[in-house]
Amino acid sequence: MWLAWYASGHLSVARSADKGATFDAPVQVTPRPARLDLGADSRPQIAIGADGRVTVAYAILRDDRYNGQVLVARSSDGGRHFSDPVPIAPGTASQRFQVLGLDPDGHVFAAWQDRRDDIPGHTSKAPGHADAALVFAWLDAKGAAPARVAAGTTCECCRLGLAFAGPGRPVVAFRNIYPGNIRDHAVVAFQDRDAPGPLARISEDMWALEGCPHQGPALAVSAAGTIHAAWFSGGGTRMGLFAARRVAGGGFSDPMPVGDPGRQTSRAELLARGTDVWLAWKSFDGERMEIRLMRSRDDGATWGPPRTVAATEDESDPPLLIGDARTVWLSWLTKREGYRLIALDPDS
Amino acid sequence: MMRRTVLAAAVALQPAPGLGQTTLRDFGRGSWAALLAAKAGRPAIFHFWGLTCAPCLAELPEWGRLTRERPDATLVAIAADPAPQPRARLAGAIAKAGLDLAEHWTFDGTFSARLYFEVDPAWRGELPRTTLVPAAGAPEHVLGTADFNRIRAWLDRQRA
Repeated sequence: MWLAWYASGHLSVARSADKGATFDAPVQVTPRPARLDLGADSRPQIAIGADGRVTVAYAILRDDRYNGQVLVARSSDGGRHFSDPVPIAPGTASQRFQVLGLDPDGHVFAAWQDRRDDIPGHTSKAPGHADAALVFAWLDAKGAAPARVAAGTTCECCRLGLAFAGPGRPVVAFRNIYPGNIRDHAVVAFQDRDAPGPLARISEDMWALEGCPHQGPALAVSAAGTIHAAWFSGGGTRMGLFAARRVAGGGFSDPMPVGDPGRQTSRAELLARGTDVWLAWKSFDGERMEIRLMRSRDDGATWGPPRTVAATEDESDPPLLIGDARTVWLSWLTKREGYRLIALDPDS
Repeated sequence: MMRRTVLAAAVALQPAPGLGQTTLRDFGRGSWAALLAAKAGRPAIFHFWGLTCAPCLAELPEWGRLTRERPDATLVAIAADPAPQPRARLAGAIAKAGLDLAEHWTFDGTFSARLYFEVDPAWRGELPRTTLVPAAGAPEHVLGTADFNRIRAWLDRQRA
């Protein structure tokens, strides 16, 4: 298990061989302190490949106007040393909210939000002032494949959700901008490595906002190929956290409300394994910030009751869910307790 | 009408405020209820903003203009950055926006979710955000940047 984190202007990574009980000495990826993109929805990304190959991606801010740059660093010796970080793509337009993932064949896929206006497929209102688009590249060992637009126009300050439906078949969820400044969610499911599928709307929340929600979607794909999404809507036809699924060959189900919207519900996270799906989120009871969790054993057709799996009484990170063949863990950093890796009860 | 013109002129003649002149009060547990009680019985606008919120900083001069244009308006500005920002930087942003006529508060480092919860249990800390509280009746909430025509119309209704 690996952790990647930002602290004091540096991105560091550390490996644990005993499921989080102890960690090897951290390795600093950034050669010098950087102006890291520390927004609520911005996270460093790490992909652990075979043969000791480790890829990390992170974003820095170039100026005071939230124009970012995504950087990639690689290790070929199991994360002991990293190459000097290099831009994931050329140009000076903003690039932010990178996600990295390994497809089932071990190829590294990256997607991010990009405001360059010289990428094929990009729509531009004025030279140099393109709206953000969803851009992707395969980062194979020999260097980055040219970046291409998968979809646009995206809400430029929200994270992306990434999962894989099979080798060479990434699925990316994002907050799209529909006419009328409506910031509802959509997915693009790739048909093959270089063919992003059509944009599919997840739900019609009709949330129009002159501003940014700073909250992108969570995504998971089950063994059967069912796409699970969870997201936050702050207005329009619905408010709060919601989840929906798209069974292979069908459309998205009606949004299912998640948690109590009167409790600051936010920051959903999804994990799918076989026919099991876990959904975690943050919920505040007036005193404590809790991580609530519910589980489906039938690929999202029905869900068990939500329960609290961890809590804190000060600031905290969004929850992360990770799993191996046997166990699912909540990975959570809180100001008061520090980093915790909490094994979830396999029977509930 | 004559009186208002004179007032506006007097305001315009005041020297530009320096950094040290903005009083920033601590907004902690119980502050919201105390503020509402202190302002009860007359209309007041409570504007939540943050130094770490780019749209807030872009909008802040509009609020500054409103306080000069409408001396009848009571504006309370609350800096609601989840991690409290240095007071000198907050004061600098307030001065730059010409918002020195408002009453100023800043989150005091209390676990921010608790402060959001006291203002509105459903609030997750999104900024900017404004609450319009009439002398009597239900408050209105403006989420995101404000439509100042709406704010001015609301103020006109309070005077009527």
